[in-house]
Amino acid sequence: MRYGRTVAVDDLSFTVKPGLVTGFLGPNGAGKSTTMRAVLGLEIPAAGTALVDGRPYASLRRPMHTMGALLDAGAVHGGRTAHAHLGCLARSNGIGSRRVAAVLEQVGLEQVADRRIGGFSLGMKQRLGIAAALLGDPAVLMFDEPLNGLDPEGIRWLRDLLRSLAAQDRTVLLSSHLMNELALTADHVVVIGRGRLISDTTTDALAARFQRDVLVRATRPERLAEILRAHGATVTAEHADPATPDRAEGNLSVRGMDAAGIGGLSVRGMDPARIGDLALRAGIALRELTPRSASLEEAFMELTADSVEYGTRPATAEVAR
Amino acid sequence: MMDAVASEWHKLRSLRSNAYLLAVSVLAVLACAGVAYLTGRGFDHQTAEERLRFASNGNGLSTGLPVAYFVFGTLGALTITSEYSTGMIRTSLVAVPRRQLFLFAKIPGLTAVALVAGQLLAFAMHLAAQAVLGERAGQLLLDGQTLGTPLSDPGVFASVVVSGLSMAAAALVGLGVGAALRSTPGTLVALVMIFLVLPVVAQALPSPLRAQAGSYMIENLPAQIAGVGGGLLPPPAAAALLVAYVVAALTAGAAVTALRGRKVKVMAVGVAATLLTGLMWVPAAGDSADTGPSSPAWRPCDDKHAPRDMRCTSVQVPLDWKAPGERKITIPVGMLPASGAARRIGTVFSIPGGPGASGIDDLKQFYGKFAQLRDRFDVISFAPRNTVKPGGVLPYECLATGPWITLPADRAEYAALGRSNRERAQRCRAADQEFFDHMDSASVARDIEAVRVALGEQRLSFLANSYGGTPAAAYARLFPSRIRAMVMDGTAGHIEDTAADEPRMYARAEREMERFAAWCRSATACALHGRDVGQVWRRLVTAADRSPTPVRNDPSGAAYTGFDLKVAAAPSVTSPGPEPDVPRWVQLADAIKKAADGDASGFADYVRQGSGSPKVPSLIGQNMTHCLDGKGYGSYAAYRRALRRAEELSPNFAGQRSWWPLGCVGWPAPVTNPRAPLPTRGLVPFLGVGSWTDHDIVADIIRHVPGSSSVRYEGHGHMLYIYGKSGCITAHVNRYLTSLRLPPPGTTCRPTG
Repeated sequence: MRYGRTVAVDDLSFTVKPGLVTGFLGPNGAGKSTTMRAVLGLEIPAAGTALVDGRPYASLRRPMHTMGALLDAGAVHGGRTAHAHLGCLARSNGIGSRRVAAVLEQVGLEQVADRRIGGFSLGMKQRLGIAAALLGDPAVLMFDEPLNGLDPEGIRWLRDLLRSLAAQDRTVLLSSHLMNELALTADHVVVIGRGRLISDTTTDALAARFQRDVLVRATRPERLAEILRAHGATVTAEHADPATPDRAEGNLSVRGMDAAGIGGLSVRGMDPARIGDLALRAGIALRELTPRSASLEEAFMELTADSVEYGTRPATAEVAR
Repeated sequence: MMDAVASEWHKLRSLRSNAYLLAVSVLAVLACAGVAYLTGRGFDHQTAEERLRFASNGNGLSTGLPVAYFVFGTLGALTITSEYSTGMIRTSLVAVPRRQLFLFAKIPGLTAVALVAGQLLAFAMHLAAQAVLGERAGQLLLDGQTLGTPLSDPGVFASVVVSGLSMAAAALVGLGVGAALRSTPGTLVALVMIFLVLPVVAQALPSPLRAQAGSYMIENLPAQIAGVGGGLLPPPAAAALLVAYVVAALTAGAAVTALRGRKVKVMAVGVAATLLTGLMWVPAAGDSADTGPSSPAWRPCDDKHAPRDMRCTSVQVPLDWKAPGERKITIPVGMLPASGAARRIGTVFSIPGGPGASGIDDLKQFYGKFAQLRDRFDVISFAPRNTVKPGGVLPYECLATGPWITLPADRAEYAALGRSNRERAQRCRAADQEFFDHMDSASVARDIEAVRVALGEQRLSFLANSYGGTPAAAYARLFPSRIRAMVMDGTAGHIEDTAADEPRMYARAEREMERFAAWCRSATACALHGRDVGQVWRRLVTAADRSPTPVRNDPSGAAYTGFDLKVAAAPSVTSPGPEPDVPRWVQLADAIKKAADGDASGFADYVRQGSGSPKVPSLIGQNMTHCLDGKGYGSYAAYRRALRRAEELSPNFAGQRSWWPLGCVGWPAPVTNPRAPLPTRGLVPFLGVGSWTDHDIVADIIRHVPGSSSVRYEGHGHMLYIYGKSGCITAHVNRYLTSLRLPPPGTTCRPTG
């Protein structure tokens, strides 16, 4: 899959399973949208296939019954009302007007159904796009960045909706460039970068893998650090000024102690429960025990660094097939 | 498929902007009404003659059509380009992933809307234009069209309906171009080029090219499809081209929609353009086969007096059509080719009068009078076998003169006249007896048919002038199915017996005598002003019958009998010359006054001008055809009956009409083309035109052909069309020849100015 001489998606292969919400993760430009467009037949891969239920999407007679998709909430004609817009799409797949009313209600747009889309906020357009995807009551749903533009209430609503859809044994795939969004919604995450598959695992496994350390604040940090080290953890001091971190491994310094004398420790290689148990046994009071994950960008850097070990080819234009 | 179509229909319906856009098409109605208003206002300020020269506003749609096309083209374009510009295309293609299905699904809804709205708009445009023109719409124009053409005219209803249909075509062209270019502004520019700029560019081209290029413009196709003008293409070719426009645009659109990439896009547009150009040339090639007779070798005329664009050729015909394998003679044929400004209908054959006149000379002399007709026809004529010109087979000096005719008082005088006639005829006949004996109008008619065959025309349209009516009648009897149209302009009859024609001719002479007398009462230019003209005339005739009035300036001692005076005066009575001076009536009044005073030289001077003889000779060159056509009396008894009848009917001219048939008494060659009825079926309706003096005779001919009609010109004149005597007559003749439409019975044309 190329744009000009740039390979956008290269040798990408994964399966999305029913009954789960699958996140599709990658930084901007990673090829998420291109992959989804390829699935829908909007892009034709130079090699390989994207099949839905074992068939190319474009060969489905009434594809919206098989798969619902939201690619771009803005890809609508602003001159039509929400109702008319959905009506047009419904008719193209032989869907009746009752269903149109039902999905409008499902996404909470029934009050503005007869207003023109041109006046909608991005969040309303997202809801409209989701309604369109739901029109055919499909077993497979695919959403590209559906959370963009939604307010917190909207985000919670969508999460609930996605979970309920998955609970109905549907296959749900949603893309995002924000790991944190997905962590709370997806059961399974597929990560891509520069058009290649990087990771295909459960959210928990990924979260664990991206978990960087546990921040511990305790009344006696030096003692706790000794105990934790004795049990196999790697402990470094947490600095009050994050701009000048002390990267010297093994040298415990108390420069990072706060005003109350409670130092912050960065603990790696040990989960929070075990840290809590060891502190209790030592009679050290914990003020804070926070598992910290890497930011997606950091995680992505790690993953791509890993990818060298897997021996895959670099995804640049020069090696394009 | 049906789902996609229903979806696209809903898309079209659910955008308010589409309704607004359709409402904008009212501009087209305003454009039509505006042009009609300007035409009408200009018209009101012109004289009757100038009004005849106006260009027809036709069905009134032409100005508004490009506007309507642009609106409908934009509607079609927006159905696809708005998908691209809003991004809706991505959503649409998820719902309908098969791209060409998606594009083609737009066609039914768009077509349905454009068909309904197009019809409404087309009729609104037509009715607005006609309403603004009002009564002026019915004004007949020189080229035979009317200023505005109502729905009741042939082809007009169809042209309006097709115009409405063509708006659907414009919408589909817009859809195709929009799908090919994807951008709204780009598509609008392309549509402005196709619908507005190209036609204007075509209009700016020099003449024959303008008509050719204009024929391919989409706005001119509906009229061509309906066969009511608009260009040079025959209806099937025009219809094919309209379809080709749509197919080419949609092909380009479908190709670009299905494939990806810039190169493909350019290629697809190129393929569509090639396809369209190819389809344009197909009808063009088909048309050129139809643009004119090609069989004879037309070449520039070997005659420095001939117009530059005139073409000449000749055909070989048997002298004796009963012996086609034997002696051949050559008939020169001339053509004024169709101008190419409009679609050619066929060939008009102008049959010259006389007998003895050359139609080729008519084409040269009356060249300009055929201008409007030549937009639709090749105009051809010939120098018939009986043409009297120097250098012919028979000696001109012999044909251009003849014996003086006397009115026989008894059988002996009748026989003496016969001997005199025969002796003069034999002098000419001796030069080539076989030729002399085949000068009848039926042979001329067969020569016309030979010309038709040589031209490769299925049918001919005819303009029969004066005595040309006799070969025309012969042609109608011999080849009725070959006549597409027949105009009889001041023609002689050749249906009933000579004697049956005479009462009408006397009635006409008496009517003219009354007009002449009335003129003398009112005009001081009349030498007899203040006197009873009829009484002076009759006394003169009676006196001359007792003792012939001498021609005092004639050395040979010629003298005029009453019969001679009638024969010499009759042409002047019926043809006073241009009004208001009426020079021949002035001359006639002088001659009568002089003759009443005992000198017939006033008549002799006038007669000498035409014949070189002090008294009117019965020309052998005319009689060689007249007598074979059976224009003579069959017997002495028939002559006496006719004369008695004339004495009852005509106090002023009794016996004058006998001058013509008496020229055939004793004729050496037998009658070969006797008068005979016209076929009762198989003839198209004729149009007769004639002046005060000609109309009744013409009307009497055409009443034998069912459905025919005639127009009377309320003035003097003969061969009104080729002399261009009356724009009104020219308009009626052109209308009939181009559209075969006849004026209602009783139609008249008044002299103008």
